[in-house]
Amino acid sequence: MELNVVKNATCTFCGCVCDDIELHANHERIVKTKRACILGEAWFKHHTAERLYPDALIDGKPASVDEAIEKAAEFLYRADMPLVYGLSNVTCETQREAVHLAEIIGGVIDSHTSL
Amino acid sequence: MSCTLGEVKNRADLIIYWGGNPAECHPRHFTKYSLMPKGKFVPNGRKDRTMVLVDIRETPSVKAADLFLQVRPGKDFEVVTALRALIKNQRVDKDRLVETGLTFEQLQDFAGILKKARFGVLFFGMGLSMTRGKHMNSASVLTLVAELNAFTKFVAMPMRGHGNVTGSDMVIRWTTGYPFGVNLCRGYPRFNPGEFSTVDLLLRGDNDAALILGADPGATMPQPAIDHLARIPTIVLDPKVTHTSQLARVHITTAATGISAPGTAYRMDEVPLPLRPPLKSPYPTDEEIVRRIRQAVQGKPPWLPNSNGKRRLV
Repeated sequence: MELNVVKNATCTFCGCVCDDIELHANHERIVKTKRACILGEAWFKHHTAERLYPDALIDGKPASVDEAIEKAAEFLYRADMPLVYGLSNVTCETQREAVHLAEIIGGVIDSHTSL
Repeated sequence: MSCTLGEVKNRADLIIYWGGNPAECHPRHFTKYSLMPKGKFVPNGRKDRTMVLVDIRETPSVKAADLFLQVRPGKDFEVVTALRALIKNQRVDKDRLVETGLTFEQLQDFAGILKKARFGVLFFGMGLSMTRGKHMNSASVLTLVAELNAFTKFVAMPMRGHGNVTGSDMVIRWTTGYPFGVNLCRGYPRFNPGEFSTVDLLLRGDNDAALILGADPGATMPQPAIDHLARIPTIVLDPKVTHTSQLARVHITTAATGISAPGTAYRMDEVPLPLRPPLKSPYPTDEEIVRRIRQAVQGKPPWLPNSNGKRRLV
């Protein structure tokens, strides 16, 4: 099968953010990495494009993404002091959206830096 | 005072790692950025550089070091303070150095190495910033580095652990003016670590809802903080069902950053890099979900903060 080869891929496992990784992937998983370290290789091979988990869970039960978004919005809207936390393993574009959301819900935004 | 890793590669002839174990935690740091590469002003690579490792125990990184200084646990601040005095030829009480685990001679030797460098860089890890003294330790090494600039060129850089934690500092900084732990409750940003930092908020039970993304506090935080997350409605966005998802009211599965979700991530030296995901995920990206939650909130009646801290519909 033809493999999709990505040159100069960026690894976001640790703070080194190496951007010279070569990845060989089929349609659902990365099968080969070049220049990645032992941690990076595990990181790339560990995440696949398979559907292993339900789209969303509400109170532990499978739900649709639309329902989950509505429920999440309701919880955050009703809260007096909601917390938006994490942000270490998401893109800067997501972080910007998260700041905007935190402002609208009147919450606290924080990352791993504060630990 | 910091610089990019490119400058380290091309200029640094003295590399210090303090409270970190790059050989195991940042495996390519030596070879790609700091120690091994041949650079413009260090043409012979490793041969032109000196590496000093400061830590409380022997780790695999010791093998790469020219000098290893074993500090007694929790005594980093005292060592830095003594070094600050020694580089300025101030008097240091030898007897009081005993508690640091290092001798006067070792420290004086180290102070000499620091001053002799043409371009020194001090990488500090969580062994320094997360142990006794915490941010005061970080502040002390930054002061030491600032003072060394009276003698030579010296910079400091934190060894950031998680992929894009530097990015969150950058983004929150340019949007709110502060890097982390920012409270927007009153409609304008307030910053006070210790008060608005997550663990403190959760331990006091201040939050009444939480959105967790790109993190798994259920596996890393102190138990009383986790207990509070389980008491309040918690929402988790993650590519996997995590420890935190299991105590959350809502979990939404998202695409994995850099693997099936595109975007930008910051390297530890604050250089932004584009992600090139090779896979296509069946799940939406975090960015899309956060945007849709924000749009859903914006569709509800607006409110203003009241003087009692509660909300008031407008």
